[in-house]
Amino acid sequence: MAKQRRQEILLGNQALGRGLVEAGVQVMTAYPGTPSSEILPAVAAFGRERAHPPYCEWSVNEKVAVEVALAAAYTGQRTACAMKQVGLNVALDPVMSAAYIGVIGGMILISADDPGPHSSQTEQDSRLLAHFAKLPVLDPDSPAMARDLVAPAYRLSERFQIPVMIRPTLRVCHGRQVIGLRAPREVQRPAVFVKDPFRWAAIPKMRLALHQALNAKMARIAAWASASRSLNIWHAPARAKARLGILASGVAAALARDLLAELGLPVEEGAIPFLQTAMPYPLPIEPVRELLSSCGRVLVLEETEPLLELLSPQRDRLWGRGSGHVPSAGELTPDVLGSVLERALREARVRVPRPRGRLLTVPDQPPLRRPNLCPGCSHRAMFFALRRALPGGVYPSDIGCYTLGLNQGAVDTCHDMGAAITFASSLSRVFKRDGQATPVVATIGDSTFYHSGAAGLVNAVYNGAAFVLVILDNETTSMTGMQPTPESGLTADGHPGRPVNLRALVQGCGVEWIEEIDPYDLALTRRTLKKAWRQARGPEGAMAVIIARHACAAQRPAEAVPVKRPVQVAGAAPDVKAVFDGRQHACTDCGRCLAICPAGALTRRRKGLIRVQAAKCTGCRLCAEVCPTHSMVLEPAGACVGCGLCLSWFACPALKADAQGRVQVDRAWCVDCGLCLEVCGHGAIVAQEAGS
Amino acid sequence: MNARDWQAVVAGVGGQGVLFVTRVLAAAARAQGRRVLISEVHGMAQRGGAVVSHLKVGRFQGPLVAAGRADLLLALDPGEAVRNLSFLAPGAALVVNAPDLGFLSPQARRALARHKVRAICADASGLAAGAGAAKGANLVLLGAAAAAQALPWGAEALQRALGQDLPPQHKRLNQELFSLGRAAPR
Repeated sequence: MAKQRRQEILLGNQALGRGLVEAGVQVMTAYPGTPSSEILPAVAAFGRERAHPPYCEWSVNEKVAVEVALAAAYTGQRTACAMKQVGLNVALDPVMSAAYIGVIGGMILISADDPGPHSSQTEQDSRLLAHFAKLPVLDPDSPAMARDLVAPAYRLSERFQIPVMIRPTLRVCHGRQVIGLRAPREVQRPAVFVKDPFRWAAIPKMRLALHQALNAKMARIAAWASASRSLNIWHAPARAKARLGILASGVAAALARDLLAELGLPVEEGAIPFLQTAMPYPLPIEPVRELLSSCGRVLVLEETEPLLELLSPQRDRLWGRGSGHVPSAGELTPDVLGSVLERALREARVRVPRPRGRLLTVPDQPPLRRPNLCPGCSHRAMFFALRRALPGGVYPSDIGCYTLGLNQGAVDTCHDMGAAITFASSLSRVFKRDGQATPVVATIGDSTFYHSGAAGLVNAVYNGAAFVLVILDNETTSMTGMQPTPESGLTADGHPGRPVNLRALVQGCGVEWIEEIDPYDLALTRRTLKKAWRQARGPEGAMAVIIARHACAAQRPAEAVPVKRPVQVAGAAPDVKAVFDGRQHACTDCGRCLAICPAGALTRRRKGLIRVQAAKCTGCRLCAEVCPTHSMVLEPAGACVGCGLCLSWFACPALKADAQGRVQVDRAWCVDCGLCLEVCGHGAIVAQEAGS
Repeated sequence: MNARDWQAVVAGVGGQGVLFVTRVLAAAARAQGRRVLISEVHGMAQRGGAVVSHLKVGRFQGPLVAAGRADLLLALDPGEAVRNLSFLAPGAALVVNAPDLGFLSPQARRALARHKVRAICADASGLAAGAGAAKGANLVLLGAAAAAQALPWGAEALQRALGQDLPPQHKRLNQELFSLGRAAPR
């Protein structure tokens, strides 16, 4: 083509999307998850350059996404499916079978790993799951390589009729690099489903034959890959026999090259024999043998588990995780890799021409900065109301922005997608069987509920579980970048979808008690939570579901905060303590003050006598607010007493304590949502007067 | 400095525009025909957590800067400057959003001097707020960095990079903020 290639700085995920569009992907599915979320939108966007854009869908979960892509590949079309590594766990069932049965059209499965982990529950290595499932896996070291591997992956997939995994890590996904754009291929294969029940619906007896055929296929792929120049990047040593060689894959390979160049040992000039394999499984053995024959010891650098180490011949000559030269957990950052390389070079007695110099170290290290919900986020209001309304409860939660309710003490568990509901059903049952009246309130986001919440809810209803479930419905998938949910009916590529009504879905799961609220109405939210627990508690209790609807403050700030209510903190009052005055007011021993005290400052001496431990009491006034008989006494100060309740239970980034512990509003963060007006028991947070 | 490889770390807090300012630097490098590699942080970390991005210009293959190798640390928050100081190469530039180095202990200031770090302070947040664009501190600080010649390209190259792919009103505001930084007292 005479036309000059357009060059763009692309995010790694966009580069993958570009590669897919250039290679003619026809069906693309995904479920969002950091660090994979930007792949599908890139396919949809670049796909518009083609006369026949690909079909793109946000599937409701990763298992569904794999199955949709797989069935289309059965018909001969080119398909792809993207997810994060823990999503691959959800999809593992169809993935395992897909290796046995194979495909007709090429299928690429992208599983984005997160060594570190930076934004995940685990730092699992998807390459090991590819090995487990017996699928070839490619391990790009950069956005450019990720794009360049897509077309060969399709050729491999179609030649051997097997899905191929591409495993980028976070540094590839969220790296940016200049990419020369190629013209997208117009692939317009008709969808032809050739009936072959012995393959597509193979019974277990047939599966043995398929497994044997798969093993033979993998051996053929390994032999084919051994001869590939692009999959095996080999830098031979300048001298005949080196003391140390390196076998690497992925980002660790790219970083090791930079570090070695900075140490004065450029691999391109043969300073150290260096083999980078872009396909860790099935491992191309011949190039590895060549590396082994060129040096004494081989240092193996890969993320995050020792797959190359496991598959290499002559394992006793390898230095890596097995020998303790490479740490068994955590990301291989330049600092970690630098130490690993320095130790290996020292032990192999390789001279380092330009050793790393002295580093700048300073004693004053700031405290770790915890992520927090955005100012104005309605989840914060819900979590505050939850702690006020049902203190002393257990609060299972789930995967999403709202995990950050941790900061407010309103998230007790966070395990995997949908586990808030199943955990809550189990916890509420064991408490009830044990005679405990502990409130159990689960929180889950809308997208997570569609992903894998409904099955747990059906199970809870069917088996008679009774707890409060709050579905935090902000009409989007916020944490991963505002992807639409089934409730919106909006689809990834603009094809007509249909909204799936959340309330109807909850009703369909068999729930009879459902209330919809806006958590910005804090008083109503508290009342509704209490009402819901009354429905769920007791021997005859049943499921109670609250759908809490409010627009996402990051996606639609104007809608989330339609009325601006600027606040200020009124002055500073001296420290105060709660006082128990049961003689005058006849304490009824209801225990509300004991349950709500955030400081654990109250103890029950005997019936009708509460003791306040002055050293622990922060003076927050919660006990005085909940006491039905006014036995707990503390008058509102009308000014900040420095109790810190708003900081710990409301945890807004715009509220900060000064050196004396008095709270101030940080105007750089405040969005004037006004939610904190109802938080302070002393009335110290007040609306700003006009013009002030 | 143009022909050399160049590495920078940009640090701040979610919402301060760390990624945006990194992309502006990359666009300026691109306009000079240089190869660039960037590493960004997305996801949970963006929710008010510490955000750091790496930029490598030249013949690099890996996206991350190693400790002791950065030519520039551009810090939109003094605390995040402290957290990332070890990236600085001897003789490198530290450009920080603070009126002065008062956020550092005397010991840390001495360590900086021993490492021959060139520290450039500018109250970018204050200047941006004064201009009615509190979120624009990132570009004010970039302007201060350009004026102090802490970047391998002149201010004009950045001025051009600032306007790329933006609607005119944003472009104008960005360039105003950048100019404000260039004229900032340091």
